[in-house]
Amino acid sequence: MSEHAEPQPVPPSSVVLVSGGSRGLGLAIVADLLDRGVRVAAFARTVTPELDKLAAEHPDRLHAGPVDVTDLAAAQAFVRDAEVRLGPIDGLVNNAAIGQDSLHVHTATGDIARIIETNLTAPLQLTRLLVRRMLGQGRRGRIVNITSICAQRGFPGLVAYSATKGGMDAATRSLARELGGRMLVNAVAPGFFASEMSAVLGRTQLDQIVRRTPSGHLTEPAEVVPVVRMLLREQTNINGQVIVVDGAASV
Amino acid sequence: MNELSRAQIRDLMAQVLGNQGKVLPGDDAAELREIGFRSLDFSELALRVEDETGEELNFDAPGLRRIATVGDVLDFLVDLQRQQ
Ligand SMILES: NC(=O)c1ccc[n+]([C@@H]2O[C@H](COP(=O)([O-])OP(=O)(O)OC[C@H]3O[C@@H](n4cnc5c(N)ncnc54)[C@H](OP(=O)(O)O)[C@@H]3O)[C@@H](O)[C@H]2O)c1
Repeated sequence: MSEHAEPQPVPPSSVVLVSGGSRGLGLAIVADLLDRGVRVAAFARTVTPELDKLAAEHPDRLHAGPVDVTDLAAAQAFVRDAEVRLGPIDGLVNNAAIGQDSLHVHTATGDIARIIETNLTAPLQLTRLLVRRMLGQGRRGRIVNITSICAQRGFPGLVAYSATKGGMDAATRSLARELGGRMLVNAVAPGFFASEMSAVLGRTQLDQIVRRTPSGHLTEPAEVVPVVRMLLREQTNINGQVIVVDGAASV
Repeated sequence: MNELSRAQIRDLMAQVLGNQGKVLPGDDAAELREIGFRSLDFSELALRVEDETGEELNFDAPGLRRIATVGDVLDFLVDLQRQQ
């Protein structure tokens, strides 16, 4: 059987699921998509007041709820409810992840497993779930994986985390091939930005990153959001790519 | 288990192609390449069969490489349902 590309371009996503949409980059992505008229389903383990506020402002366009991304059955039920309210999902942003700040030799084995489960296994399962729905209904869609510069450059204290992000970059490429143009699959790899996850970095580490960044400042979530939006909404032929947004800190 | 017949799978296959403005020929010997039925169309068909039967159909890629005609698709899915 041939695997050749579909002739028509993949339409812009109109209903997007954002994992980890309660704070940080995920919340910024949710707010941006709502601003552009997109319908959004967003979950995290805890729904924050900020996400609740957006849900109150956009009752018809935002479906939010508490889901642990590692609980596949809960994710499945959330997707079903979201589709009843918003219509079929045709976009996915795998953003939920947990960080790390411990040298590999001093990281508990259980913590390594938890990082891999949350940052690698769970997004692969969620992607499978959504691709099955889209494919089974003959729909086309777009997937954006939020990975990290850690997948490409070494950072002490982030060994398991880096492995999961590298894993998602690799999966991005193979999935783009496998889905033969029916879906566009890309990754966005930000450099360090201020959030709860990076709060563990000390002042010296942050200063060092800024010093090494030609653009002279730490990446802001607001600088990552337009790239995610472009991949979900614009007509481009970008597929299977990892787009680094780090002000050339890693170049 | 709630199994789909060959004819029922054929109807679903016609729908998958029909959604793309293509026609499924009546002849089982018709080549997939000729009628524009690609590997993702096969995935879509398998997912539609799953939807009808409520059973997941997981399979490895090598089996697919031997599939070249409409009849191969139908045989594969009929057999696969029995194996699950
Ligand atoms: N911050 C950085 O410097 C940086 C740099 C490069 C890449 N990234 C990546 O950017 C993405 C967003 O990071 P961020 O800095 O915005 O992090 P953050 O502020 O810690 O937010 C992470 C989000 O994921 C959710 N989450 C975590 N574990 C979850 C689970 N098991 N189930 C469901 N939701 C879960 C969190 O909500 P709950 O905790 O309530 O579940 C939260 O909504 C991540 O993929 C991260 O790896 C971050």
